[in-house]
Amino acid sequence: MAPPSGRTLAVGTVENWQEQLRRGGLELAILLSVARHPRYGLEIINHLDALTDLVVTEGTIYPILARLNRDGWLASEWREEGSHPRKYYRLTDRGRTRLAYMTDSWKDFAAKLNRLIVAAQGDGNETH
Amino acid sequence: MKLTETGESRIRGYRFVLDRSLRSFLPRDAAADAVREVESHIRERLDQIEALPDERTAVERVLAELGPPLRVAQAYSHEMTLDEAITTGRFVPMVRAIWHAATTSVIGFAWALLVFTGWTMGVSFLAMGALKPIFYNNIGFFTLNGKFRGFGFEFGLPAGTEAHGGYWIMPIALLAGVATMVVTQRISRRTLAWMRSRKPSAWISLKVEVREEDR
Repeated sequence: MAPPSGRTLAVGTVENWQEQLRRGGLELAILLSVARHPRYGLEIINHLDALTDLVVTEGTIYPILARLNRDGWLASEWREEGSHPRKYYRLTDRGRTRLAYMTDSWKDFAAKLNRLIVAAQGDGNETH
Repeated sequence: MKLTETGESRIRGYRFVLDRSLRSFLPRDAAADAVREVESHIRERLDQIEALPDERTAVERVLAELGPPLRVAQAYSHEMTLDEAITTGRFVPMVRAIWHAATTSVIGFAWALLVFTGWTMGVSFLAMGALKPIFYNNIGFFTLNGKFRGFGFEFGLPAGTEAHGGYWIMPIALLAGVATMVVTQRISRRTLAWMRSRKPSAWISLKVEVREEDR
């Protein structure tokens, strides 16, 4: 379904809501990207691009990686490969625990909202 | 992709602006690491899109996908400075975030001034409470010839001035100091959260730009 037009709804309202969803989702998506093996920034972006449309501007990924690294959920190391160095990120034990919690929370949250959506659509059908 | 001097110069320019912007709110080594990572991204991307007809198109496309350096720096600011200040409420991240806000917008400057005033008031109250036993006659409520003269610290009092309140000033001043600091801190965190929600990230700006072009 296409998102509502920016002209018909207040720009701040719709886009802020989408932004909050994206922010929450992007953090989880990045942690999931490095769950199985270490990846470097562009590899994470390519992985997310292949499976989602979460990355709109590539430059926003690196600040999130830096924060996750600072918070101890990811660990990083520079590796000299090919013509230029790459900074690889991997999940720490703390990050793995956090990822498990976030994944469960996300599934739980999505299931609850889906129930509400189904209920609302059911109510709508009953009125017709 | 092996770049010509023109291409290298374009990347150096991008690096320079990003580095300068990041250093205004990040420690020097963190800013250098971030710039190194972004440059690595640029060079890797250029290797990936080698099929493009000319170098200039390739470089401009890679930099456009990355976003303008000021916007990338702004995203770092939101993630590294604002987020840490909002989530932890620690003094140093708060000061960093407030400094960044004060140096980047008029509203931020006015707000920083208010926060600074709140912190100064809080520290002054705490100092009053702590120093009362040492400067007994110079801290409290003052009257001159029976009329209210002032409240706080005062040295070189004119003849006839009396200090009131005794040692009761201590708990009152300490309580007022703690309350002022806590209220200032809470308001600061809420204001930072509001500021972040107003400018969530580079993504919003990009969406708005696209819509402007559509019109």
